[in-house]
Amino acid sequence: MKRGEFIRLTTGMAVAAPLLHACGEKKTGAAAIPGKIVGASAATGHLLRDHTFNPPAAFEAKEVVIVGAGVSGLSAARHLVQHGVKDIIVLDLEQQPGGNAASGGNAFSKYPWGAHYVPVPNNNLSEYLSFLEEAGVITGYDQAGLPVYNEFHLCHDPEERLYINGHWQEGLVPNFGLNAAELAEFKQFFTLIDHFKKLKGSDGLDAFNIPVDTSSHDESLRALDRITMKAWMDSQHLTSEYIRWYVDYCTRDDFGTPYDMVSAWAGIHYFASRKGKAANAAHNDVLTWEQGNGFLIEALRKQLDGKIATGALATSIKATGNGVKISYLDVASRQLKGLEAKHCIVAVPQFVAARLLGDTERGKVVTDHFHYVPWMVANLTVKDLHERGGQPTSWDNVIYGSASLGYVDATHQQVQQRKDRRNLTYYLPLTHTSPEAARKEAYRAEHAFWAEKVLADLQRVHPDIREQTEQIDIMLWGHAMVQPRPGMVHGEARKSLSESIGGAIHFAHTDLAGVSIFEEGFYQGLKAAQKILQT
Amino acid sequence: MKNTAGRNSAQWVLLVAVFIIATCGLIYELVAGTLASYLLGDSVTQFSIIIGVYLFSMGIGSYLSRFFNDHLLEWFIRIELLVGLVGGFSAILLFLVFPLAVSFQPVLYALVGVTGILVGIEIPLLLRILKDKVEFAELVSRVFTYDYIGALLASLIFPLIFVPYLGLIRTSLFFGLLNVGVGLYLCRYFAGEVRGVAAIRFGGIVILLAEVAAFIFSEQIMSFSETLAYNDHVVYSTSTPYQRIVITKNKHDLRLYLNNNLQFSSADEYRYHEALVHPAMTAAAEPRNVLILGGGDGLAAREILKYPSVRHIQLVDLDPVMTKLFTGQDILAEINRHSLKDPRVTVTNADAFIWLKENRKQFDCVIIDFPDPSGFSVGKLYTTAFYRLLKTAMAPQAVAVVQSTSPYVAPKSYWCVNETLKASGFQTIPYHNYVPSFGEWGYVMARKSGGYQLPDTFAIEKKYISHAVMEQMLQFPEDMLAHEPLEVNKLNNQALVNYFEKEWGKFLDQ
Ligand SMILES: Cc1cc2nc3c(=O)[nH]c(=O)nc-3n(C[C@H](O)[C@H](O)[C@H](O)COP(=O)(O)OP(=O)(O)OC[C@H]3O[C@@H](n4cnc5c(N)ncnc54)[C@H](O)[C@@H]3O)c2cc1C
Repeated sequence: MKRGEFIRLTTGMAVAAPLLHACGEKKTGAAAIPGKIVGASAATGHLLRDHTFNPPAAFEAKEVVIVGAGVSGLSAARHLVQHGVKDIIVLDLEQQPGGNAASGGNAFSKYPWGAHYVPVPNNNLSEYLSFLEEAGVITGYDQAGLPVYNEFHLCHDPEERLYINGHWQEGLVPNFGLNAAELAEFKQFFTLIDHFKKLKGSDGLDAFNIPVDTSSHDESLRALDRITMKAWMDSQHLTSEYIRWYVDYCTRDDFGTPYDMVSAWAGIHYFASRKGKAANAAHNDVLTWEQGNGFLIEALRKQLDGKIATGALATSIKATGNGVKISYLDVASRQLKGLEAKHCIVAVPQFVAARLLGDTERGKVVTDHFHYVPWMVANLTVKDLHERGGQPTSWDNVIYGSASLGYVDATHQQVQQRKDRRNLTYYLPLTHTSPEAARKEAYRAEHAFWAEKVLADLQRVHPDIREQTEQIDIMLWGHAMVQPRPGMVHGEARKSLSESIGGAIHFAHTDLAGVSIFEEGFYQGLKAAQKILQT
Repeated sequence: MKNTAGRNSAQWVLLVAVFIIATCGLIYELVAGTLASYLLGDSVTQFSIIIGVYLFSMGIGSYLSRFFNDHLLEWFIRIELLVGLVGGFSAILLFLVFPLAVSFQPVLYALVGVTGILVGIEIPLLLRILKDKVEFAELVSRVFTYDYIGALLASLIFPLIFVPYLGLIRTSLFFGLLNVGVGLYLCRYFAGEVRGVAAIRFGGIVILLAEVAAFIFSEQIMSFSETLAYNDHVVYSTSTPYQRIVITKNKHDLRLYLNNNLQFSSADEYRYHEALVHPAMTAAAEPRNVLILGGGDGLAAREILKYPSVRHIQLVDLDPVMTKLFTGQDILAEINRHSLKDPRVTVTNADAFIWLKENRKQFDCVIIDFPDPSGFSVGKLYTTAFYRLLKTAMAPQAVAVVQSTSPYVAPKSYWCVNETLKASGFQTIPYHNYVPSFGEWGYVMARKSGGYQLPDTFAIEKKYISHAVMEQMLQFPEDMLAHEPLEVNKLNNQALVNYFEKEWGKFLDQ
């Protein structure tokens, strides 16, 4: 630290003595910080559960109706339009398309409300790569044929840091304060992962691939889908507190599922399925934007002007023999409207799909096999924060041992020298109890409760967070993502629910992949669109 | 009856004194530890050494207490005042000696040691004073209970209340005052039992007043300690949202520091600015429109204005306070010869990266004079992403030049800038010169195409550059080469910041 800076600090207000934790200090209550619960219109969605609607009077004709404007639905729509099917409409109950990749913003930056990054893509995903090229994310290819990424979209350095043993270390893999035996476990773990990355099954397919459905069906690999990640780690003697925390952090981060509940297959998939190579990025680099994957949503929408109806809550989907009838509530006018299409792509989560189809048997399969975990996401607008020692503020900032996943700095990709304010997006998967109980709790709690939870957690690393935070907004995702528990990925439910009905109703959603990531949504949509184009 | 009551209250007064002494003692130790870890870094080491030295000194104090045989109460009060004096002024003293870097640690440990010894003498003294007044078991238990409660209190209020609200200097003064106050109170309370009360009281009051004065003037003391750090007379200093600006002056020169880094000395800045500006301006051939990024001191602009071909200079500097100072303050504007007021110069206060992103104009020559890449924010201004934007602001035959830190101190950093420009599609011409107040300094010229032709003359008024000098500047001796393949500096690796930190860190450690 520069001396002048220090002198100002010591005379100023912001110093807390090292070694002595200034925690528990509470000058102003969280209630003093303004903010609101924004959000996925749970109330509108619940109309569907709690209400019965009269059928609409008329049905407007469309070639294809897509229900759900998340990544899956928009990807399907984009593919159809690009292949000449233009008489389409995408319905979404929210005011903004995007689903879990929705974003918001204020005077200082845009920020994500959910999905916030994608890793450097695998090179065999040609359709995905050409979408990224269209979006300006890939600017060309080098002589070796490797994609060149837009430098403003690759996550800027410093990328990640972890607060551990009283210090911010670089990167999220714990190393600061670990002994040799603990470090050796990480080495062993990553050696195993490397092995899985290269491994092919007896069917010649990659053991772990994206989309999940292109992975090998080798029985020895499928066996991993019958045990939990924790059981697998125990069998490999990976038992130190640190590696358990790390893997648990990762599976909660990607799947909203603790490591002792997640399938070992899915857990390993997280680490072993990413093999992307780039001309100007390392294999573990990520692509991110102020608004997170909201950027990709904007790119998907580019050719869909006038084809997206928001504030449109689908209420039923019925096969008619030679087509599909869709009813939806126009939330603004509170009117039930009808659409009649040759094809319908159902790009909503399966628990909604079952209700829309009025299919109780389908509903039972979903309740038995699909567990949706709730998440809380907060966006904080902050002034300069006091920093603990070590690695300076990074894009992703994680606190060892916290129930949260830490925060991502939405202004990180901005290039200016001075930022008056920063927007921090804080993630908390509600995995401390069963999804049902957590969901109930979540909807009951008020803004002040969540704000306090966030501040109490961040106070450990930024002692002045309460004074420096100007605004906290909260988003609750009641059914954020499906949990890939054992049996999900390689089980029957996922397969049977993915099958089209009567050649006219097709399904596309990340929950059908079992693994909730952008690429899966992209290919879910693409596949559904291809089915229509093939008929 | 009356007698026991009197004894009893005397006992309590002394116990409260123990409590305050314990609190103050620990506070001084924490002040020293905090200061040491901020000034020297490595809080774990600093704190453990200081705790060790302090406790050990208390041991010495306890041992020394045996040599006090008479007038215990009197000694107790004297020591109390001394603790107040030494502890109270400890933070100020440490701040003042810090700039004289070599002597800092001895002073630090000596201070901690003296405080420890004094506090160490006090407890045994007190035990002995009270031993006739209270039963022994109870006495020991009470004294130590108060001692440890005081310690707990200190460790809680120090980080939670005192440091945030008072800062370190005032915290230590505050507790010094408390010590002295206790001493004076004891003086009064035991006036009958103590010899030479008047002298002790006088001493106490002097210390008290000195500490009150220091408390009031702590801001000034702080800025005085800052002038010591610069070895010179600080004529101006201010903190803007972007940086700390300090201007110093002595008999020989005027110096500008930004965030404690020297930007120029008026004695030799012509060497730097002539080397920065003229090679590029001459290579650009009759440049009309020139862009300066950074350079809010107007010194590069002064050099550029020497060219009759120049119609317009666009200067983009982040900090309005800087450009205002160098436009309006006479002693500063004299150095840049009022370049910022020249009608050909447009000053824009903006972030260079953002400005370039939005800029649609093309320039014939671009002078880039940013601070060294000492952190991730400025590091962005040296990346391929930035240089690709730069290209869009350059006419086909334009020449740009980048100040690129010292190739002698930081050869990897210097050559990394060169590699980064090359990777961004430029042809580069690296060169360096000697600027006494900086040392060996490096620059990289960059153009889109066409090599470099050493000019026969530099046809402007100058003190330094010439054909022969330029010829030399293009030569790099072995000790200014990188000797290893270097990474290109990109937004997603910030390789330069890492090189820079390592190389300059090592240099400054020497
Ligand atoms: C907090 C959070 C963080 C995440 N972070 C990442 C990340 O960083 N990277 C990543 O790759 N993935 C991330 N994900 C996973 C993310 O879910 C997927 O990447 C992807 O966005 C899912 O898209 P989808 O289209 O399959 O589903 P959804 O996003 O669920 O889309 C379904 C859409 O259907 C609409 N809908 C539902 N019911 C109806 C109805 N009855 N009528 C009309 N419309 C309806 C919804 O409003 C929604 O827009 C994250 C998820 C969450 C919740």
